Amino acid sequence: MSVDMLQIPDWSDLGGFLPETVMFGAFLLALLGDLVVRRRPVVPFAVVMAGALTALALSFAGLDAPERTILGGLVVVDGMAAFFRILFSLIAVATLLVSWASEEIMGRSRENKGEYYALIALMTGGMMVMAEARDLLMLYLSLELVSLSSYVMAGYMRNSLRATEASLKYVIFGAVSSGVMLYGLSLLYGLTGSLTYAGVRDALAAGAGDPLSLLTVCVLLLAGLGYKIAMVPFHFWAPDVYEGAPTPVSAFFSVGPKAAGFALMIRFFYTTMQPAVDRVDWRLLIAVLSVATMTFGNLVAVRQVNVKRLLAYSSIAHAGYLLMGFLMLTAEGLQAILFYLLVYALMNLGAFLFVVALNNSLKSEHLDDYAGLGFRSPWAAAMMIVFLFSLTGLPPTAGFIGKFYLFAAVMHEGWYWLAIVGVLNSVVSLFYYMKIARTMYFTKAPADAPAVPIAPLHYVTLVLLAAPTLFLGLYWGGFKDLADRAVQHFTAL
Amino acid sequence: MSGDLVFYGFALLTVLSGFFVVASRNVVHAAFSLLFTLFGVAGLYAQLGADFLAVTQTVVYIGGILVLVIFAVMMTRIPRGDAPRRGLDRAVPAAILALLVFALIYMVIVGTRWPERAAGAPEATVAEIGTGLMTTFVFPFEYASLVLLAAMVGAAILIRERAPADDAADADDAAGEGEVRS
Repeated sequence: MSVDMLQIPDWSDLGGFLPETVMFGAFLLALLGDLVVRRRPVVPFAVVMAGALTALALSFAGLDAPERTILGGLVVVDGMAAFFRILFSLIAVATLLVSWASEEIMGRSRENKGEYYALIALMTGGMMVMAEARDLLMLYLSLELVSLSSYVMAGYMRNSLRATEASLKYVIFGAVSSGVMLYGLSLLYGLTGSLTYAGVRDALAAGAGDPLSLLTVCVLLLAGLGYKIAMVPFHFWAPDVYEGAPTPVSAFFSVGPKAAGFALMIRFFYTTMQPAVDRVDWRLLIAVLSVATMTFGNLVAVRQVNVKRLLAYSSIAHAGYLLMGFLMLTAEGLQAILFYLLVYALMNLGAFLFVVALNNSLKSEHLDDYAGLGFRSPWAAAMMIVFLFSLTGLPPTAGFIGKFYLFAAVMHEGWYWLAIVGVLNSVVSLFYYMKIARTMYFTKAPADAPAVPIAPLHYVTLVLLAAPTLFLGLYWGGFKDLADRAVQHFTAL
Repeated sequence: MSGDLVFYGFALLTVLSGFFVVASRNVVHAAFSLLFTLFGVAGLYAQLGADFLAVTQTVVYIGGILVLVIFAVMMTRIPRGDAPRRGLDRAVPAAILALLVFALIYMVIVGTRWPERAAGAPEATVAEIGTGLMTTFVFPFEYASLVLLAAMVGAAILIRERAPADDAADADDAAGEGEVRS
């Protein structure tokens, strides 16, 4: 490790670290508030909401900022960090709104409501740090903070057998994959003698490591990172966890930690592993995994009859699409990923929110129980149609624009076969997304089907998510600009 | 070489007791043999000149975590007798996979040109680590405390018994809670 990269952090560094500081502060305040004002979950809820909105407002300033390392050179703030801060704050706000009116979280018999909101704040801060790590030590710590909080949130409904099983599976899979990743990190440190990304990159550029050891490092690291983004073959936990966890938590998991995992992967692979491309073709490795991920996710999703499980497999498939853009190593591919992550967050949160809203009255996520919803709850069903169209990638929705940029980036680099596999996969996905639509509109509800009142807050949130999903399909310029600005100073390209 | 002998001694201790942890069908025996595994690792650290790590390994893992594990094993109700014997249908694929992983790692370790540092007399690392934790690495140091806090809050959420008083308060609160939630 060269000496010039070592810095001693001082208080002024916190200026560049404000959104995270706010989220961690909100976490502590929410915990304290919950202790002082007992049995009023509105206190932690309000604290965390205020924190997320503050972090959101603070994050925009950094979009055009050049790269700057802070806190001992272990954390980097640049446009991309700002973009992910914005994304995670938005996800946190949406998750809070979804949770607040959800019976699964706020039901009379639930405990620890305050801690639930506190953990959302902690995870949001942790995901932001994941997007900013530029050191193997921070990579591991930030990943572990998010993982530990996820295990707890998955097991939040602790008197539910399904939730306990989900949490336990998550812990065991998570512990094993992070152990495997740690072994990979130790090999990488042994090869390069450095913990910072810059040091690792320099050592690799100078020829450290031979093909076999570098390939082993890549595979071991992908076990840990692939687990976070639910990439085949490290996806086993996802369907069970998404199904067993409270639905608002599944919604959060399917967008938040996944996006954070991508942010971490982008920064790590783009910065450090590029000089090693001549010795280990990790781009091809990821291309193969990308094809496996989207194909597996889509094919298995076709057979699902539980909507939560179906959405879990769909989120695996989406990780596959995103991986396509990831291995392009171009600014265009990176912009496409960022834009797609934003769009994906909107539409996937929306689809999960629909499930949450219905679960309050139906107490079920079975597809058969969605029969006739198009007439029993016309507005919500119409918005669900928007999300489903967008998830498939049909115009005029945001999902179409997102996929368009993604596929364009892949084609420009000449990976035609990959793009073709992606398009074929989108066709498969049309089948199962439309299965939901068909059940809602063309299957008659049984005569004794219960009414499905939807909480006003859920209506509002549905509109807040559906409107941009449609709007971005027509006027995407402003948001695409956000992604473009985030990448402009990304020096690793 | 006496150094080699020490290394092989500790390595053998670690591997054999580690195998016993996995293979033993009696959970108390497994917990006790974990003691030797951790001790063997501490010995390897010490031999590599990582004095601080060796001491931490002994104090934290053996002195703290392992004692806790053994207490937990002794105080929880374990089904009488040994765990049910599992068939070979799982053991064989697991053994093959483990051997393949070992072969891969062996090839990596032997086949790689590792950058080496000139071996000098081992120096005490405690002061250097202490300085590092308070200067360059103060942020990860503090961040680790957040990780630990998350783990503590999580453990409290998952295992806390519901106090009977809370149930009574619940009934009183029923009206209030209803209006809080929209």
